[in-house]
Amino acid sequence: MGDYMLAYGEYYQGRLHPASLEILSPLREIANQLGKKLALLVLAPTYEEVQNNTELLKAICDEVLVVAHESLGEFKDDLYERVVVEVVKGLRPFGVFFPATLQGLALAPRVAGKLGVGLCAHVNALEIEDGELYMLRPTYGENIMAKLYSTTLPVMATLALGAFSIKEGERAPIFKLWEMSSDFSWESKLKIRQFTPAKKEINRLSVAKVVLAGGLGLKKKENFEKLIRLAQLLEGEVGATRPLCHAGWVEEERMIGVSGISVRPKLYIGFGISGAIQHTVGMENSEFIIAVNTDKEAPLVKLAHLSLIADAEKVIDALLKKLETRP
Amino acid sequence: MEKIVVCIKGVPRPGTVKVDPVTHTLRREGAELMLNPHDRPALEMAMRLKNRYGVPVVVLSMGPPNVVPLLKEAYALGADEMILLSDRAFAGADTLATSRVLAKALERLSPFSLVLMGLKSIDGETAQVPPETAALLGIPSVINVREIAFEEDKVLLIRGTDYGEEELEVSPPLIVSVTTKMDYLRPPSFKRILESRELSPKVFTASDLGLSEEHLGLKGSPTQVAGLFERVREAKGEIWEGDPEELAGRLIELLKERGFIKS
Repeated sequence: MGDYMLAYGEYYQGRLHPASLEILSPLREIANQLGKKLALLVLAPTYEEVQNNTELLKAICDEVLVVAHESLGEFKDDLYERVVVEVVKGLRPFGVFFPATLQGLALAPRVAGKLGVGLCAHVNALEIEDGELYMLRPTYGENIMAKLYSTTLPVMATLALGAFSIKEGERAPIFKLWEMSSDFSWESKLKIRQFTPAKKEINRLSVAKVVLAGGLGLKKKENFEKLIRLAQLLEGEVGATRPLCHAGWVEEERMIGVSGISVRPKLYIGFGISGAIQHTVGMENSEFIIAVNTDKEAPLVKLAHLSLIADAEKVIDALLKKLETRP
Repeated sequence: MEKIVVCIKGVPRPGTVKVDPVTHTLRREGAELMLNPHDRPALEMAMRLKNRYGVPVVVLSMGPPNVVPLLKEAYALGADEMILLSDRAFAGADTLATSRVLAKALERLSPFSLVLMGLKSIDGETAQVPPETAALLGIPSVINVREIAFEEDKVLLIRGTDYGEEELEVSPPLIVSVTTKMDYLRPPSFKRILESRELSPKVFTASDLGLSEEHLGLKGSPTQVAGLFERVREAKGEIWEGDPEELAGRLIELLKERGFIKS
């Protein structure tokens, strides 16, 4: 089975979600190693608009497969599932991969369920060993990574957001219009009555050059607010560990780690973060890592390029005092 | 509208989980279980719909017998009926093997209009089971929903997407996963806590549901764990110790040197 590796290209209102380009980077390597072609599947209202999309010209895949139909302007979970399943059955790829966006998380499990195959979630590394494809992700409650494989084909996974950086191809991919069977029903049980675009600016965390992240060592919510002030002074973004998001100190969109966002800034400073693997998988590729923690044995201290062994709150206070009074 | 079914999950209390050294799956039998925190908003949503439209609510959980107290928690919040899906053969299931059991149980409970689940569990964190179960049943699914209303024979929903919010109209039955953010979660009723002591859930096993073992549990799971490994890291960095004021001063100098602060 399978001359192809298939990636899902999330396309909405004329734009390709950047996470779809991210997942092409590791898949390119895997496809090369296995001698497969890499195709990006795009569902859109018209073929022309996809062919004219400049982002796609730089995608590092061999082909862009387009399913075009007027009903594909809005994401309808049940219809999209049936489209992807029909393409997979026709193309017979070795693997099908989705970005772990909300749309990917809604669609991939439906496709896997319909095909009766396994689906790994939030994978942040792919490996080939003896011709077998392995998917890596952290496990619950322990500082341990799990290496997973699938006993069914196609191999399927959602890939963690921000875990891979976008690479540009040297030549444009070949565009192909995928013909759906003539009796395919474009009906959906879902009808979108209204769409309200997000008011606030899209979270810049995953592409920030400077990230200041807070953990439970900050002890109280007010200290997280100080961290936000500090981030503004350093022209950076704030992130947080899972417990802080769950405690409601900060919105969950700012969670760094498994099932949250992965960051790879030039500078990452973790304040009061011990460094559970659930968090560190989302920041370990940062260029320069600083840990501020009272515990010299904390995992983040072991990972960091520089560690300040001190109370995070006191260090933040001192930094704010010095930076805010600067002329 | 027909009844609402809420699927809840018992998750190991953080810190009490053990990984089976042979199968590498989580051992739930020995762990202290708590209600998956993301299931609370799903239960809250069900109770709001029950109060508003007078539809009955069934709460269902797949797991070992020690999830019964969690079903009773849901009863205390206002659920009308409790169902436990329990069988040794279910253990070690991935999301597909779990969805197969839920889909069969839901078929058994039909007719229903709406199935509510939490967005994800805090242990697996896959968020896959609600759409996967829906696909097996051939019914629609909508994830990350913050509002639900019934209008004639339609279910109206508001879902959060990566681009904003959508108001949807869906023909039931459907499966919905509820957002993790909810402004208010009702407390359990004391009267119902007392009542629940006398009650026990209806139990379905694999054979009750007509499921064969090769599709269940670890054996029936297409995703398998090849191994677990610790990512050992050597301390490679510099360590600064001392007075926070002084450390902050040194840090600012370093950030200036590296161009993160304009001097």
